[in-house]
Order: sequence, then C-alpha cells, then structure tokens
Amino acid sequence: MIFLFIRRIIILDMQETFLQQIEANKGIIFKISRSFCRSKADQEDLRQEILLRLWKGLPRYDPAYVFTTWMYRVALNVAISWQRQAKKSSGTIPFTETHEHAAEGEFPLEDIHSPTYLLQKHVAALKELEKALMLLYFEEKSYREIAEIMGITETNVATKVSRIKEKLKQAILNDKHWVYERS
Amino acid sequence: MKDLELNELWKEYDRKLEESRVLNLQSWAVNRQTFEWMQTQKVRSRLRPMGVFKGWAVFLGGIWVLFLGLLAVGDHGRHGWFTFSITILFLFNVYAIIAYLRQMALIRQIDYTDHILQTQQQLAALQASTLRTTRILFLQAPFYSTWFWSGRLIAGNALAFWAIAVPVVGLLSLGALWLYRNISLANADKKWFRLLFNGIEWSPILRAMEYLKEIDEFRDR
Repeated sequence: MIFLFIRRIIILDMQETFLQQIEANKGIIFKISRSFCRSKADQEDLRQEILLRLWKGLPRYDPAYVFTTWMYRVALNVAISWQRQAKKSSGTIPFTETHEHAAEGEFPLEDIHSPTYLLQKHVAALKELEKALMLLYFEEKSYREIAEIMGITETNVATKVSRIKEKLKQAILNDKHWVYERS
Repeated sequence: MKDLELNELWKEYDRKLEESRVLNLQSWAVNRQTFEWMQTQKVRSRLRPMGVFKGWAVFLGGIWVLFLGLLAVGDHGRHGWFTFSITILFLFNVYAIIAYLRQMALIRQIDYTDHILQTQQQLAALQASTLRTTRILFLQAPFYSTWFWSGRLIAGNALAFWAIAVPVVGLLSLGALWLYRNISLANADKKWFRLLFNGIEWSPILRAMEYLKEIDEFRDR
C-alpha cells in the first residue's frame, strides 16, 4: 500500500516536471509540426505523437544533457518518420503550390507574399534531414549541439548549413510570389 | 539577399507566432488534458509499424512451413529426394519466418531518443532488410525442381531426366546464385531490379533503400 502510494507520488512528480519542461519548450514542438505538416489536423496529430514519444522516452533521458537537446532529437525523429510515412501513403509533400491558397488566411502570418511565409514554404520543401538541420540552425543552436542532435560532425554541419542556406535563398528569390527585390 | 536575412526572417516568424498568440493556444491546460488522456486511454502510436509486410509474410510463411513440415514428416523418409528437397525448403522458410519476427521485434524497439541519423538509419535498414531475407530465399529455388527425383530415375539413365531435369536445376541454381549476389542497394536503380520488385508491397522497401543512400550522402558530404 505504502509502496503504491510512493510510486504514485513519484509518477505525479515526474508528470509535473515533464509537463513544465514541455510547457517551457512548446514552441519547439509547434514549429517542428508546422514545418513537417501542412494541415492543422496533421499538425495536431504530429504534436500529440511527439508528446507521446517524449513521455515514453523519458526513462531514457540522461539528465547530463540539456533537456531541449533531447527534446529536439525525439521531436525531429518523430516528425521525419511521420513525414516519410505520409509520403508513402499519399505520395505528396507538404507546402506544395496547391496548398498555398488553402493556407492563405489560416492565421495572420500566412500572407503568401510575405518573406516569412516564403521562408517557411521553402524550408518545408527541403528533404527531411536538411529540414531538421535548418530548423536547428534557425533556432540558433550551436554547431556542436546540432552535430550532437543530428549525429554528424561539426565540420559537416557547417558545410551543410552554408550549402542549404544558399539553396533556400535561391529558391525564395526565384519563387513567383517573391515581389520584394525583383528587378 | 544577405546571409543574415534568412535568420532575421526566422526571428520575424517567431515574433509573429508570439503576436498571433498561436503558441498560447497550445496552453498548459491543453497539454495536461492531452497528457491525462494519453495516460488513461493507453494511446497507441499513430506511426504505423513498418512491419505490416513482414507480418503478412510471417502469417503466410507459417502456413507454408506447416504444409512443408507435414509433407516431410508424412513421407517417413520413403522417398529420399522428396524428403531431402522438402526439408531444405522447410528450413529456408523457417529461417525467413525467424528473420522477419526478429526484424519486427527490432522495429518496435527503435529508440527515438537517439541521434537523428542513427535512428533514421536503423528504421530504414530494418525496412530494407526484407530484401536481404528475400535474396537468401531465392537460393531455395533449385530445390523446387528436385522433389520429384528418385534413385530409380537417376539410375534409369532416362534421356528426359538428363536433358530436362538436370539443366532446369542448373539454370535455377545459376539464376538463384546470380540474384543472391546482385540483389543489393548498389543495383536498386537497375531496370531488372525495378522489374523484379515492381509492386505496391515492395515500394516502401525500395524507398527505404533510397533513404539509406540519402542518409549516407548526408553523413559523408
């Protein structure tokens, strides 16, 4: 009886700490789900899946590492697998031209001509691993931390970031909705 | 567009998210509700296990193995070639079932908390491993043409036996060995490979192989 009571207290404490950590870093889950899924329903499902995997993976969390590093790993692993599964079943990728009008007006930042929207669109169109890398880069993670999350070397991170940034810039500048600096 | 601008655009996106209060909609209460629901409902992952194909292979393979086992045991060793061939076929199929069961167990144990490249590689490799098992299964092909052999047929020196049965076994053996050696990631782009593995059940496996290539390129370049 006492054992069960103590166990319950420990679980409740774990839940509380876990939820506090999630609450403090919910932006990570939100931005990842937005970059990997287009429809709101899919984003919601992906967020739930990430939450589930985070909770299930919690016993394997090593407190020696920063919580957000671990959280990024799980969230990105789940998001990549999710998108690959979606591709298999539908053969589509998110943020295609056909989705643009549906996205318009979804919420204020969805002006399809806005540079922020175009960046979102072209980040979402990257290959899964490239997208994961760039999300970490834009979240201002150090190359060392990105290397730790991705499982590649720091040099490799630097090379790839520079290459993908160039690719993104070209994609945005060549986008038919880019109206800002077109001569 | 300067290098810095992309980062600035991302910060702008962050700011807009805050302004639009979208993040606030994902409130503490919502998280708690979702979490409590997860606890009480024994939520199952929406990520479909990749072992569906393997699951069917185990089920159908199990029936086939049972049939082969009954044939082998039922013969009581009366027909040497028959028992020998059926036993070899039985062993190949038992191997495949064990391999698939092991792969299904490994798929369920995938650790999403590991490095991204490592986890993704494990997932793709396990999915692509179906092909490795298939390649070994091709080696059983010659034994499908030896079950009807008998000592009397060989001793009888019949022309039909030496002119048809032996070349058929020879061809099947050569074909099986060639496929065993050539079914690999390196040949996934070849036309014969695409023709051989042309079907809806093979497409996730071929995609997994392509993904493995992509992962290797991502790691190396």
